[in-house]
Amino acid sequence: MANMLWLQGGACSGNTMSFLNAEEPSACDLVTDFGINVLWQPSLGMDMGENVQKLLRDCVSGAIPLDIFVFEGTVVNAPNGTGTWNRFAGRPMKDWVKELTAAAQFVVALGDCATWGGIPATAPNPSDSKGLQFLKKQHGGFLGANFKSKAGLPVINIPGCPAHPDWVTQVLVAVATGRAGELELDDLQRPKTFFKSFTQTGCTRNMHFAYKVSATEFGQRKGCLFYDLGCRGPMTHSPCNRILWNRQSSKTRAGMPCLGCTEPEFPFFDLAPGSVFKTQTMMGVPKELPEGVDKSAYIKLTAAAKSASPAWAEKDIFVI
Amino acid sequence: MNHMANGEDVLRAQIASMLKAGLETEITPFPEDSNAFAQLLQRIREEAGSVLEKKLVIGGFTDYPMGEDQQRCQECMYYLNHRRWCDLPELDVPVEPDWWCRLWHI
Repeated sequence: MANMLWLQGGACSGNTMSFLNAEEPSACDLVTDFGINVLWQPSLGMDMGENVQKLLRDCVSGAIPLDIFVFEGTVVNAPNGTGTWNRFAGRPMKDWVKELTAAAQFVVALGDCATWGGIPATAPNPSDSKGLQFLKKQHGGFLGANFKSKAGLPVINIPGCPAHPDWVTQVLVAVATGRAGELELDDLQRPKTFFKSFTQTGCTRNMHFAYKVSATEFGQRKGCLFYDLGCRGPMTHSPCNRILWNRQSSKTRAGMPCLGCTEPEFPFFDLAPGSVFKTQTMMGVPKELPEGVDKSAYIKLTAAAKSASPAWAEKDIFVI
Repeated sequence: MNHMANGEDVLRAQIASMLKAGLETEITPFPEDSNAFAQLLQRIREEAGSVLEKKLVIGGFTDYPMGEDQQRCQECMYYLNHRRWCDLPELDVPVEPDWWCRLWHI
């Protein structure tokens, strides 16, 4: 049996909603099949008021062993470092977070806000928000770069806006069943099993990417979304086209550009006007190229691919 | 389909003759970044609409490649190779592979 406590800081509850939609395994499977005891969760917890305060105090003191602490949302520090803009169970949430992360065997940051600060931490960051161990790409965040949980691991980051439900439940199962040591983390502390490949991996538009045929409007079933509509699939690490959403689709499959929400820079360009859903260019060439591709190679590849593109690539091939 | 293709050929020939006759188009400034590009698209939507000549003028069309890199429709991301067509919604016109406009983008 592994005790799990889940709290929300500066959050929209999107990751909780995502979690409740998990299928492989489901949220119920965590309890019935994998021995996770949900001490409290914002949408599932039955206790209120003083009972919750006592539960949290017992977790901090060790009276209740805290195996997994999941945090969703940013750590709010405003105003003036007090954190009182986000109070919970009688005190600033950031004080609970400090003590509970010190008490937990494993700490999981869930969603962009908890991992990197996400949208709340976008400049000018009025709530003085931080992720648990990062602020955007900068290592440190609220807990500091050297933080390790009792089991000796740094915060396990599961980014996304929201994170896919099965990324969450599969990581929780690994931790709860004693296989946390098999979770290889990347430089941004994301499990590599989910975040080593690209969003583009498995994209149904890869043929159009290869032949340099561009989609020019949302929802078009032909064309690649990278060239004109700002898709970040070739630069973003996620399995969105391998582990499908609702088991059947993804943004790019539906004709919607990837926003790069598993990367610490999200939302990119601080949401400046004209930067959303538009490929950023300099003298007609994308500013950001697919990872590992340089500009001169890209130009040569474009010329060759364009001249080799077959007629079908220009048409809608997904016939209903 | 043939009717459409013929119609496109006729329109392409019409554009070719307009350019050959010396239609003065705004080949500069080239939109340096995405904001300038977006402003140019906005101008085409507002000032040209579906008026062919205005699209060509604001778009800065030429019937030859442009610049040191010999930029041309053939490599542009909006060019449909087999249809010989510019698929950028604001332009949406038949073109030739060796033409160019300042909305060129790869």
